[in-house]
Amino acid sequence: MSTRTATEERAVVIGLEVHVQLETDTKIFCGCSTEPAPDEEPNTRTCPVCLGLPGALPVLNEGAVEAAVKIGKALEADIPERTTFHRKNYYYPDLPKNFQITQYDAPICADGELEVAVEDSRRTIGITRAHLEEDPGSLQHAGGSIDTADHTLVDYNRAGTPLVEIVTEPDFRSPAETRAFLAKLEEVLEYLGVFDATRDGSLRVDANVSLVPGEAVADDGSVPEDALAEANRTEVKNISSHKGAEKALAYEVTRQRNALRRGRAVDQETRHWDESRGITVSMRSKEAEKDYRYFREADLPPLEVSDWRESIPIPELPDARRERFRAEYGLDAESADKLTSRKAVADFYEDVADRFDPDLAATWVADNLLGELNYRDMAITDVADRLEEFARLIELVDAGELTTKNAEEVVLRGMLDDGDDPDTIVEREGLGTADTGEVEAAVADAIDDNPEAVADYHDGDEGAINFLVGQVMQRTGGSADPGEVNALLRERLDE
Amino acid sequence: MADVNAFITEETIEGADDGPLAGTTVAVKDNISTAGVETTCGSRMLEGYVPPYDATVVTRLADAGATIVGKANMDEFGMGTTTETSHFGPTRNPVDPDRVPGGSSGGSAAAVAAGEADVALGTDTGGSVRCPAAFCGVVGIKPTYGLVSRYGLIAYANSLEQVGPIAGTVEEAAALLDVIAGPDPHDATTREAGADANYAAAADGDVEGMTVGVVPELFEGAHEGVVETVEAALSDLEAQGAETVEVSLPSVEHAVQAYYVIATSEASSNLARFDGVRYGHSAGHDGNWNETFAETRSEGFGEEVKRRILLGTYALSAGYHEKYYAKAQDARAWVRSDFDDAFADVDVIASPTMPVLPFELGEGIDDPMTMYLADANTTPVNLANLPAISVPAGTAEGLPVGLQLIGPKFGEETIVRAASAVEE
Repeated sequence: MSTRTATEERAVVIGLEVHVQLETDTKIFCGCSTEPAPDEEPNTRTCPVCLGLPGALPVLNEGAVEAAVKIGKALEADIPERTTFHRKNYYYPDLPKNFQITQYDAPICADGELEVAVEDSRRTIGITRAHLEEDPGSLQHAGGSIDTADHTLVDYNRAGTPLVEIVTEPDFRSPAETRAFLAKLEEVLEYLGVFDATRDGSLRVDANVSLVPGEAVADDGSVPEDALAEANRTEVKNISSHKGAEKALAYEVTRQRNALRRGRAVDQETRHWDESRGITVSMRSKEAEKDYRYFREADLPPLEVSDWRESIPIPELPDARRERFRAEYGLDAESADKLTSRKAVADFYEDVADRFDPDLAATWVADNLLGELNYRDMAITDVADRLEEFARLIELVDAGELTTKNAEEVVLRGMLDDGDDPDTIVEREGLGTADTGEVEAAVADAIDDNPEAVADYHDGDEGAINFLVGQVMQRTGGSADPGEVNALLRERLDE
Repeated sequence: MADVNAFITEETIEGADDGPLAGTTVAVKDNISTAGVETTCGSRMLEGYVPPYDATVVTRLADAGATIVGKANMDEFGMGTTTETSHFGPTRNPVDPDRVPGGSSGGSAAAVAAGEADVALGTDTGGSVRCPAAFCGVVGIKPTYGLVSRYGLIAYANSLEQVGPIAGTVEEAAALLDVIAGPDPHDATTREAGADANYAAAADGDVEGMTVGVVPELFEGAHEGVVETVEAALSDLEAQGAETVEVSLPSVEHAVQAYYVIATSEASSNLARFDGVRYGHSAGHDGNWNETFAETRSEGFGEEVKRRILLGTYALSAGYHEKYYAKAQDARAWVRSDFDDAFADVDVIASPTMPVLPFELGEGIDDPMTMYLADANTTPVNLANLPAISVPAGTAEGLPVGLQLIGPKFGEETIVRAASAVEE
């Protein structure tokens, strides 16, 4: 077999470590807030505990443990009888104690899975474990990057923010799969109410990437451990979004493929994803295995969590809700997808679907509202306090008091652009639906004024009717329903 | 009396106007954080470090009306048996200024023995309250792990240590324990147990019907004068109505080894934070941070501290973790279960506190193994998380000898009662 064929048959193997900042009120081991204050100064949201001052002791925030248990339930993972904390010892300036409190042999979640849709197929990604740990502080390299900075400043405001690190099995076979997985994971975390995607740095991903000989892949798609051990892998750090993951890993896979194609080996090393340049760069070669000298954190007694799984409820998750929406409201797959991908959207849809026509509500929420928001680079969360106004708009359409065209083109856009409520806009623009008498008068006028179009209609030209509908719409200022106008015109013309 | 160098910092911190300790002066070991008052751990590393917060025990002293008179000298970071490893010079034993006061809470015990404070707080990781109490002829209590808050105590080996009182009498020591004991929301390892006890009231000398276990393993190899003095004290307890029985603790011969592996392992991690970035000594901030950290630490730490950090780092390293750290944990569990078995039959366990008389200054500082072995009788207590008290039993060759009484978990009232009978 030539080298060329061997490299071309290589299969991609990727595993992820996803760090998720948990949405708790306070840090994981102290009472400091996790929420950055507007324009806060560095090192002000700190206390002896998160600064690692001599003598300070950690006290576990059980809210963080509850959030982790929710994640475990959503990932169908095992929650142990008791969970313990360890110290991971290494020196780094962002680490106040020069060790990180994390979990080691008794993580809060183990052995779960998450099903994701990738193009048209469903893939189940194994979750090895998910454990709690503390976020370090952040470094600011003054006047450049990590390589070129004149000096580095340390800010411990972030230190102690609760993190869950979710470690997957090496189950991904393409960069696209990692993107789908991360998007789905974000969706689930958001549903659980434990995660705020808008917070900077709330999702950080490290990826282990290797290429194995294609023939090593078993029929069920799994890759045997010895094949994985033989292939050198790189760890790509500094990925901060699902889109970034796909780009970074596509780059890295191509880089490795090219190296192998040219007959070079892939170095086992850590690489840094440089988002602005769109490349990965070598950080340091990875020694056999770093020695973190893990040992039990005696300051935190073991926590009994055996009955937490039962006592902590989680809400309906996106997949279940999607299926229920299809069954309950008769939605097609695409609408159900759009309406459940964010919990706030699904909640709003459910509210209006129960009050008005579910089909109409689906069109209005999934297409009109989300479309117009998207066009303005906005999300449902940006108008969270105005949902009742949008419900009122749908009510007006549902009751036939406003035409779809006016509702969409005038009222909805006005609401988003000018911030007015729908009734104000309807009144100001005089958009109430035309009454029957007005429409009939306009139909009669249109027929009288356009004898040629009438003749064309009678000669069988279907296009003529559209012209006449347009004439009527013009005369009613758009407030008539085009369907009704069409029917009324035919009635009159066929008399 | 000549200055025994009991304090690193002499500064008065007034407490509340009244309370159980109103009018009482207290020396506080210099590894216990005092807001606004330098807290050095006896180390160059923390020279000039002024904590922004009070340790919980300091708050409790202030609330009880005590007056803190100074921060007591100590072996650097609590690592020593003589108070000679302090960056601020050794403390002398008030009983004999040519001898060491014991350690690591030597400044605390010496301050009480010299009358420079009524009572004192020390900390005990492997005997650091009991050893200097025995050497200086005063009383020292190592409480059950979890009885006294460690919040603000600068850690040496956090799974082993407790803050403990030192005083001239058992009753005074017990009264100080009453003030500092009890659960603290800032220390997750504190327990409710013992919170409503009255330790001072237990100093009633009533040992009628009490069973005292005597452990032959803890007398083996001890100085003859120490053995005779302790045995005489035990006979005196028998005369007051106590019964002595022999109990065996076969695991204790491994206690010192297990203790030094666990304590140094924890120390290697606890002391990692001293890198010059946030507080304390710094060798500067230029150049590669890894090199600057190393320089800071080699300048800031003394020999004994470096030795223990290196030992602990080694014991936790891949390839050695199983051989040393994991084995030491097994030994710790064995010691614990030995004591559990013994306490099925006895109320307290007695031994010499220290198998030796106070060393002469400079005698043993260059011989770490001799120093480590002197902890043979005190370290098992820390491994088993138990309470123990050292009470003066008399003198040998004119030097103080301490009797150690060990109790079951949260059995502080029992050891206080037994010790108060020894005093009489």
